[in-house]
Amino acid sequence: MPNAILDPTGQADRTSAGPAFTLARRRPGLRGARVGLLVNTKRNADLLLEEVGRLLMKEQGAGSVMARTKLAFAQPVTEDMLTELTTGCDVVVTGVGDCGSCSASAVTDGIMLEGRGIPAAVICSDAFGASADAIASLRGAPGYRYLTTPHPVAVLTPDEVRDRARQLVGDIVSLLASDGTAGGTADGTADSTADGTAGGAADGEAAA
Amino acid sequence: MTQAASLGPASLDPASLDPDAAQRAIEYCYEQGWSDGLPLVPATRPLVDQFLAHTSRDPGEVIGTLEQVGRGCTVYLAAVNAAMAGCRPEYFPVVLAAFGALMAERAARGGGWQSTSGPAPLIVVNGPVRAELGFNATGGVFGPGFRANATVARAIGLIVRNAFGIHPHVLEQATQGVPGRWSICIAENEEESPWEPFSVGGGVPAGTSAVSATLLRTSEFVDNRHSHHPEDVLWDLADTISRTGAQIFKEASAGVVLCPEHAQMFAGAGYSRAAVQEWLMARCGRLPADLRRAGKGDLSKISPEDEARQAAAGAGEISRTMMSSRQLPVIVAGARNAAISMVVRVFGEWSGTAVPVEVPAEVTAGAPAGARAGTGTR
Repeated sequence: MPNAILDPTGQADRTSAGPAFTLARRRPGLRGARVGLLVNTKRNADLLLEEVGRLLMKEQGAGSVMARTKLAFAQPVTEDMLTELTTGCDVVVTGVGDCGSCSASAVTDGIMLEGRGIPAAVICSDAFGASADAIASLRGAPGYRYLTTPHPVAVLTPDEVRDRARQLVGDIVSLLASDGTAGGTADGTADSTADGTAGGAADGEAAA
Repeated sequence: MTQAASLGPASLDPASLDPDAAQRAIEYCYEQGWSDGLPLVPATRPLVDQFLAHTSRDPGEVIGTLEQVGRGCTVYLAAVNAAMAGCRPEYFPVVLAAFGALMAERAARGGGWQSTSGPAPLIVVNGPVRAELGFNATGGVFGPGFRANATVARAIGLIVRNAFGIHPHVLEQATQGVPGRWSICIAENEEESPWEPFSVGGGVPAGTSAVSATLLRTSEFVDNRHSHHPEDVLWDLADTISRTGAQIFKEASAGVVLCPEHAQMFAGAGYSRAAVQEWLMARCGRLPADLRRAGKGDLSKISPEDEARQAAAGAGEISRTMMSSRQLPVIVAGARNAAISMVVRVFGEWSGTAVPVEVPAEVTAGAPAGARAGTGTR
């Protein structure tokens, strides 16, 4: 009997994953919601999320906006910051995943927030779908929905970044609220791509 | 019962080998997605046990974790991957030291393996283990051609792929990658270096085998057989170090792997390793105007007011990119046959840590004598 070939991954005899992932329960709409913005320090992420927050306040009646900045974009959010967000916010928007490590960790952040009952909208650049999808599967949430915006984001001018926020905001509402009603976005693209496919939404080109 | 492993030149009777079975086993490994593209040595328990016999560490000890992907590596998994990479069992303490040195790097614990920059580990071996195991320190030190150098570096790549689960096009998002990824393991040419071993700066005394490691974004030659003046050669190195394409933040690490001829020229003129570092750190960087021309004006540390003042005085000052010697490790390696050195582009910042290579008190698995340097390992 020949010797067995050994598995170098350590995953072959891993017991099946823990409890099935479930999304946080959605609220009917964002009126009065406390919105958390989790900025991952990638270039233009701060302006993009700030503009998203402004639009959610102005157009969706969100109650408040609280921004926090990650200490390391490559790593998931720290426990302290996670606690701060889950106690101080009703929904969280995070991004921008526009590199190998930060796309994965942004999706991880979203999944951790969902696990603690906070609906999350993760924004990645559309060049990093493979990394984002892979980490979702690894974290026990295959098919986890996140939003994409065309790559690149880092080189955009401030006006272009604000345009991206405008293009994304309808899908952010769709992702965070159960009725998906994006009340009164200026360009009317809100529901156009909220089709439930992971990574397929909000590519922004419909409005370009 | 498992079959006993038989390793070493004495047992390699061609008539006793089954190449067809070996080929099927290699294909099986490819099908599992374990390979970096090249054939793997199928690892079996008896083979991996020989690796584990070369360390006193517990096979279950976790030697590295990648928190963001929820994966880790144990001594056992490192041994399986080292065996698959083609290492000999006696290389295993070097693999463990190399992995330990890499995990001391902030970039390797963070997003380095997933990065669009696709960085390559630079592994530097010092001490007696170089000769004992046949690590190349001289001609063609960046490879290929030497089993110890090639397979220790490859083992690290397989650990990242298999134990950490970082695969290209999936969690690994390198835009183009780096030539030499998973193949850069150099031994320092201590015999022809005018200075103390590189590992001494990493905290391990001379004469003790040790491994240092960092991540590189590329390697670029500086060929200067033209001048006998150390400062000329230093300027030549500084020019390559200072190119704008390598700068993405206000500070940018580099490193220099000096050939013996350049190192000896510097030492002959009175330069210590630290003096070489200081000379380069003071002169590497670009004028704010150069950075602006490349669209990187916001990387300048010089305020517009200071720039205007300097311009009025007719003397522009560079925006320096390196402020600490950890941003500029200096290593000596290669042959003493031409004045060709290598600028290496350190990703992030070298940790400044060398990890001693464990020398087990007694190896019970019977390491073959053929593992000695120069007797069949090259």
